[in-house]
Amino acid sequence: MNDSQEQLVSEPRKVGYVWIVYLLLYAVAVPWYWPEGYRGPLVLGFPLWVAVSLGAVLLLAAWTAFVIRRYWINAEEEE
Amino acid sequence: MGGMVFGPGALIAVGLYLVSMIGVGWIARTRRRSNSMADFYLAGRSMGLLVLFLTLYATQYSGNTLFGYTGTAYRIGFGWTASVLFMFSVIVGYMLFAPRLVTLARKEGFITPGDYITHRFRSSVLTLLSTILMIYALGNYALAQLKAMGAAVEGITDGAVPGSYGIIGLAVIMVIYETLGGMRSVAWTDMMQGGVLLLGFGILVFIIPQKLGGGLGHVVAQLSEMDPSKVQAPSLEGANKWISYVLLLGCGAAIYPQAIQRLYASRSVAVLKRSLTLMAFMPLTTTLVALVCGLTAVVVLPDLNLTKAESDQVLARLCALVMGESALGYWLVVAIFAAVLAALMSTADSALLSISSMFTKDIYLPYFRPQATEAELTKVGKICSWVIVAVLVAVAIGTDATLVRLLELKFEVLIQVVPCFFLGLYWKRLSARTALAGMVCGLAVALGLTFGGKPMIWGFHAGVIGLVVNAAVCAIGACCKPATSD
Repeated sequence: MNDSQEQLVSEPRKVGYVWIVYLLLYAVAVPWYWPEGYRGPLVLGFPLWVAVSLGAVLLLAAWTAFVIRRYWINAEEEE
Repeated sequence: MGGMVFGPGALIAVGLYLVSMIGVGWIARTRRRSNSMADFYLAGRSMGLLVLFLTLYATQYSGNTLFGYTGTAYRIGFGWTASVLFMFSVIVGYMLFAPRLVTLARKEGFITPGDYITHRFRSSVLTLLSTILMIYALGNYALAQLKAMGAAVEGITDGAVPGSYGIIGLAVIMVIYETLGGMRSVAWTDMMQGGVLLLGFGILVFIIPQKLGGGLGHVVAQLSEMDPSKVQAPSLEGANKWISYVLLLGCGAAIYPQAIQRLYASRSVAVLKRSLTLMAFMPLTTTLVALVCGLTAVVVLPDLNLTKAESDQVLARLCALVMGESALGYWLVVAIFAAVLAALMSTADSALLSISSMFTKDIYLPYFRPQATEAELTKVGKICSWVIVAVLVAVAIGTDATLVRLLELKFEVLIQVVPCFFLGLYWKRLSARTALAGMVCGLAVALGLTFGGKPMIWGFHAGVIGLVVNAAVCAIGACCKPATSD
């Protein structure tokens, strides 16, 4: 395992704030905070609570793209 | 398939599409570089961005995404937005272990997930149990695809071709191109199938809600009047179910053996990173479309029976409506049907190839022929593919269960291998004995609850509860008894 660690310059798992942001975005994406039975106004055709969840998924995907680019670095790429 | 019957022209087009798969398999065979397992099962670790992305996409999004997910959206409404989140979560699952596993795999030359478990834990029992669990789960998954293939063929020929013949015919095509070129032909056909699948979802999102439902806003307004519960936010237990699905899929689907082997097969880490970046956005173009189609069906086809088997037919019934409207609609539905076959076959062939590699490398080699050459192992793998297909076809023809049920049972089992990857890669103190104890306990809890009539508790799947027990045993064991070696 040590060899693999040497070749791996950086990995997302070890960056604390990456997972804090994930946790926050998941907390928004899962609709636990809406009153049961709530629908709300339509946003782009979706009920508000669904639009918020989908928006959070879009942000999660964008965050993942950033994390992969910024924090997953192998020695092979640096060379 | 809900009255969706194709004419001779469409059947010939679909037939040519299927036969072209064998052509692709033949071309893949001519491109092989050696008669080695790495070449046959990992395409010589040479997959570029387009092939890797589309094979990951076609493998991850199965026939269940098209049929099962539209059916579930029809039954439960916007609550199934959970599917968009949990399919995205698979990529987060990769973030937790893929960087280190891929680095290790490229250094050590892993072929199967079992190679990593053997390398990390040096325990033949743990590797064997993990391999059996993964083969069981994948077999179940391939079985669901085969059964759906039979239903699809029976539907488009209006019963003229029985489902069993459809299963046999498509399975034979699949195993032929797989035997010809291994992962290379599976990945190349996946590339075609992934392209067709993307096109199919593009057509679906364009025609179903707009043409049949009068636009999404109109569909939601109608739904609010017909069945308000389908547009309302879920209860706390419903939200728990979202979290459970995120854990079940985010952990389980990330360690699909066929997905792990695709991580191994990338040409470079840079290519893999770009593929996973694209995959992070795919739920919004795929699962979200299935959700919207299922909701449109509630308005357009309000009188369907709400059983799983009946609601899994909603997509086919919607397509039948589009077919009847115009010649353009007819051919668009032919393209969608090709996408359905693409989704089913690309998932089944990947599972099949993965089972074949695990049996050959992790069972046949250590237990039956330790001195076997690479050429012999590749040959055994090909024979194994035919035997597995024969067994699965026999089971698919002789049993009856719905797609979603099979999917759930698969994850209950597969997810118990997760700690070996998520914890094993980072925690040196996790020994083989502890990991094995955790796996056995997790499995006992998951299966005990499932067969004891409690597949869910407070919205959490039995497999997820089993995984929590599994991880707890691993944590306690590792803290109490440090491993003597890494």
